[in-house]
Amino acid sequence: MTLRRVLASRFFIVPAAIAAVTIGWNIYVSLHAHGLLSGRVIDAAGRPLANATVVLYTHDFVTQAEKERTKTDASGAFAFTDNDSHLIQLQALDGDRMSARVTIRLWFRAQDRELAAPLVIGAAG
Amino acid sequence: MTRRARILLALRHALLVAIAIAMLTPFYWVLKTALTGENIYAYPPSLLPVNPHFYNFVDVWYLIPFPRYLLNSVVVSLLAVAGNLVLNSIAAYALTLPFRGRRAVLLLLLSCTLVPFQATIIPAYLITARLGLLNSYLGLALPLMSTIVCIFIFKAAFEAVPKSLIDAARIDGLNDLRILLRVLLPLSTPAIATNVVLAFIWSWNNFLWPLIITRDPNMQTLPLGLARFLSYMEDTTGALYAFVCMVLAPGLLVFLMAQASFMRGLTAGATKG
Repeated sequence: MTLRRVLASRFFIVPAAIAAVTIGWNIYVSLHAHGLLSGRVIDAAGRPLANATVVLYTHDFVTQAEKERTKTDASGAFAFTDNDSHLIQLQALDGDRMSARVTIRLWFRAQDRELAAPLVIGAAG
Repeated sequence: MTRRARILLALRHALLVAIAIAMLTPFYWVLKTALTGENIYAYPPSLLPVNPHFYNFVDVWYLIPFPRYLLNSVVVSLLAVAGNLVLNSIAAYALTLPFRGRRAVLLLLLSCTLVPFQATIIPAYLITARLGLLNSYLGLALPLMSTIVCIFIFKAAFEAVPKSLIDAARIDGLNDLRILLRVLLPLSTPAIATNVVLAFIWSWNNFLWPLIITRDPNMQTLPLGLARFLSYMEDTTGALYAFVCMVLAPGLLVFLMAQASFMRGLTAGATKG
């Protein structure tokens, strides 16, 4: 069997295609897995909330456990820099007011992600 | 083709399509549940996936040591396939040659196919332990490194090769091993494909033997991982079905790649064995 026939056979093409996709995916992951997680917190009127607390929960096999907290800046922006999970929840707290817990599912651990929708803190509950 | 023949052909195709749909529906349902995570007892069930996503597959990858299980299964299956190709072809070639007691050996092998693996599992375990192969890849692959059915598939393929070809090779000075490698095996690609597919799938799906001989969780294979996952995550339907898909996919892929040769090999085995 010539090398050309081996290279043209499905027994080479299919594993080679899988290997190529796997390598490509791993390169993409290594370039986008810094654990950066950012977003904004606003109030019910849509105004940015400064100095609000944002809690990061990570998936602990069957439950969500609190991992860390951070504060929003003057523009209501917050950022976590060392998220190492693929399944997380975020919740914003401001005094006795709080936002709904937002579940975020990532394609891989520590994927960099900027939240498309801000966390909204409603009226005191 | 007459009108009546065309109608009969269409009816036959319609029947085959209906049977194919019936056979494929469980697979579709598993895939749909893996993509949606919906409750399988929901009524009325939705035929099409609602809001499909791949996050259940991500959960499986990270919540258990899936890459490790995958590596173990791949290594064990490759060992089983390699063992089957080498040992079965040599055994089958020997069985095509005339020797005293050949008929008795054939009868013994045939009668051994009647003994279920569960009946021999204790001696198999003791032998593996005595060889010091518990908790090892070689130990996991050992009982599947040669199977009698696959020996007979090779034997049937070798017997289909004209004897004059083997005689010519012998006159040219080839010894038995080279006749096997240079003449018989290149003419028996369907039998090789059948051996590869059967050995891979049997090894890939094997549950009982890995369960018995592995103590270390890091040496467990995918079927054991599936059982472990089920015990941990019985409420996460989507992730469980995603795991099932990920376990099924490699075996399915190997079968689809070799299916044409596989069918030819099985048919040859059925008619000449």
